Amino acid sequence: MERIQYDNLQETLYYEVLDNGLHVYVLPKPGFQKTYATFATKYGSVDNHFQVQNEEEVKVPDGIAHFLEHKMFEEPEGGDVFAKFASKGASANAFTSFDQTVYLFSATEHVLDNLETLIDFVQTPYFTDQNVDKEKGIIGQEINMYKDNPDWRLYFGLIEAMYKVHPVHIDIAGTVESIGTITKEDLYTCYNAFYHPSNMLLFVVGGVDAEQTIKMVRENQARKTYEPQGAIQRIFDQEPQEVAEQRRVNRLAVSLPKCLFGFKEKETGLAGEDQLRRDLTTKLMLDLLYGSSTELYQKLYDEDLITDNFSHEYSSAPQYAFSAAGGDTRDPDQLLSRIREEVDRLKESGFDASDFERAKKKKMGGYLRMLNSPENIAHEFTRYQFRGSNLFTVLPVYESILLEDVNRRLQEHVDWDQLSVSLVLSPE
Amino acid sequence: MTTKMGFEHGQAGGIRIHVLPTRRFKTFAISLYAGSPLAEDTVTSTALTPFVLRRGTASYPETRAFRERLEQLYGAGFGFDVYKRGDHQIVHFRMDTINDSFVQSEESLLDSSFAFLGEALSSPVLENGAFRSSYVKTERDTVRKKLEAIVNDKIRYAAERCIEVMCSHEPYRLHPLGQRSDLDSITPESLYQSYRTWLNEAVFDLYVVGDTTLEEVQNLVQQHFKMDRAQVSDYTSSVVASAAREPQTVIEKLDINQGKLNLGLRSQITYRDDNYAAALMYNGILGGYPHSKLFINVREKASLAYYASSRYDGHKGIATIQSGIEIPNYDKAVDIIKKQLEDMANGVITDMEMSQTKAMIRNVVKEMQDSAFELIAYDFNRVISGKERPAEELLQQIEGISTEDVQHAAASFSLDTIYFLKGQKEE
Repeated sequence: MERIQYDNLQETLYYEVLDNGLHVYVLPKPGFQKTYATFATKYGSVDNHFQVQNEEEVKVPDGIAHFLEHKMFEEPEGGDVFAKFASKGASANAFTSFDQTVYLFSATEHVLDNLETLIDFVQTPYFTDQNVDKEKGIIGQEINMYKDNPDWRLYFGLIEAMYKVHPVHIDIAGTVESIGTITKEDLYTCYNAFYHPSNMLLFVVGGVDAEQTIKMVRENQARKTYEPQGAIQRIFDQEPQEVAEQRRVNRLAVSLPKCLFGFKEKETGLAGEDQLRRDLTTKLMLDLLYGSSTELYQKLYDEDLITDNFSHEYSSAPQYAFSAAGGDTRDPDQLLSRIREEVDRLKESGFDASDFERAKKKKMGGYLRMLNSPENIAHEFTRYQFRGSNLFTVLPVYESILLEDVNRRLQEHVDWDQLSVSLVLSPE
Repeated sequence: MTTKMGFEHGQAGGIRIHVLPTRRFKTFAISLYAGSPLAEDTVTSTALTPFVLRRGTASYPETRAFRERLEQLYGAGFGFDVYKRGDHQIVHFRMDTINDSFVQSEESLLDSSFAFLGEALSSPVLENGAFRSSYVKTERDTVRKKLEAIVNDKIRYAAERCIEVMCSHEPYRLHPLGQRSDLDSITPESLYQSYRTWLNEAVFDLYVVGDTTLEEVQNLVQQHFKMDRAQVSDYTSSVVASAAREPQTVIEKLDINQGKLNLGLRSQITYRDDNYAAALMYNGILGGYPHSKLFINVREKASLAYYASSRYDGHKGIATIQSGIEIPNYDKAVDIIKKQLEDMANGVITDMEMSQTKAMIRNVVKEMQDSAFELIAYDFNRVISGKERPAEELLQQIEGISTEDVQHAAASFSLDTIYFLKGQKEE
């Protein structure tokens, strides 16, 4: 067991890589009642075409990672995982994103028992024709629920407009048609490829003892046999640099048009510290462009072109990265032309030095506030780790970012040729 | 005075103050609650007030400068919410500021935060003795857009329509953000007048959780809150339990893919009552968790829905059930849900359901201790209901609940409204 002390954050992290390849991290929070644990696989909706070393290359139906997440809660002999957690007072859940699937619980008692339940249920696949079929009705309703959600449609519309080939443009849950084709054999194929311990990370944060926790996990894993697994090759066809479409419109009853726009990053393939640095620099840059204290934001708000739900974000992974900004607007075209005007002006002048210093302070404060939440720590830590970087080294990276870095990012990223726009408008 | 939750209580400037000194968190969590009776003629102006206050103060009259100030305080979180608690309308301001020990700050971030909050609340930017007219105009539009946007989120829309039709003769039908029809007639002068009245008459409770003391907070309030309140005011319990009636069914149409089914139940039990714990157990067994009857029967067994759950609002004495279903499955879903309500009333409850639900509620109550804002929200239950029930006591009461107690509580829950939102095309 290794121990790393982060003095500036007043946090101590413990970790161990087990014999079967599982990465285990424990962050004790003295004085906390609750323990929050996540068991994550580096496997999400984009991993629909892959090859495990020495095995066949496979393509699987859209939405299968998310389907698998649902089905993991099924146990042999009709056992119910939620009931098992509930008996020990734990609240359990799971979610699937583009590049990971996360199983989790939080509990204030029987923590090690609950942790064992978490590990065991995720490591016990049990799929039958019957239980796979049953789930199609439930997930069908989940898909329909999202169809009625204008913000989700807006967000996915943007990704669909930007990406032609990369599976990030495919809805995480798939479609009613694609999940209709999923079989238990497909589920086992994906399970065996991506749920090997060497592709997984366990993170435990809260009122726990690090040594005891890691010991329990070590013993639990020693009782199970895993053949060593070769590397997983994720196969992505070449995504063109340019956007697929400049504009995508969805029709759904809304009180005001919704407009989300963003830039598709040209350079891909960044990993680890380089990616972390670019992410943080871009986020700072976007905050200086679109943040609620900027001149741009205030002008557009006073011109009644945006509402207080105008927001922005940056998403990135090794093969794709894009920014997104927007919200409700009475006039999407006028909004976009005003944005272009103001942003071009900033591209000429560059950012103001005092605005930059303040934005940096804001980001650092936001980061520290995030560390109050065990949930956020676990999710963010895992996400960073899967991309080869470390959540706890964010502050020094922020400190080292210079005004010229942010100005350079503005020139690189904000390229109008890379712009896509997604709109949700009421039916005509 | 100290209550068992660890809060120290005092007052300053006509405001009640509650402080929990602790070093467990990296921030100072500050909550300011201002509550007033939910009433048709004040609901909209009260809702609009914080929107105008967030635009600028005497020292930072321009909104950009106001927001830049927050960024200088290491991006202190500042926000507000307007919601209902029982028959009260609550305006809730929140700040979350980094504890200075994590950053090299040249100013005391707690002091600066109080200066900021105090000014935002009590020294807004004025012109001609009223609010700045451009701010009132823009924020009136903002509130109007928010009210109009409720329909965008169909799950929330259906939930709010259900409450509206259920409580059509009570103040509780009102949306916390007010009524669209009132907005046009609100002027900078009329809003300023209602703001002054609100400042004097609303019930104010200020909470701080973090590395500080009651005394320090009292001094900060004296220094930074320019309020001239005659005395501390208190909530008067106004919740009157409504009589049970024959359930009504309301069906509405909208352009949607999935039907949203919402049921409203009345209960005689509220937070003040001794059998509140039994009502919590009732809700937990019925639909509060993934092991509950609704999730198991509507989702897992019948495969009808992705979500199927219940919620209990102890301050109002209402429980609601919500689920999203295929539109033709309406009858099937209603039958299954009614069956669960009957089973609750008949005491068809297993020991397993009892023990699992107890464990889950225990977990929720204990987890609260790890979140500054949840600790605050729990203590505020005491303030608004007038009933002191420390977490330890609630835990004891939950442990003592028997199946008979839950069945007894179930008798106080009666179905009042079935609300179904379906597609335009459906008959």
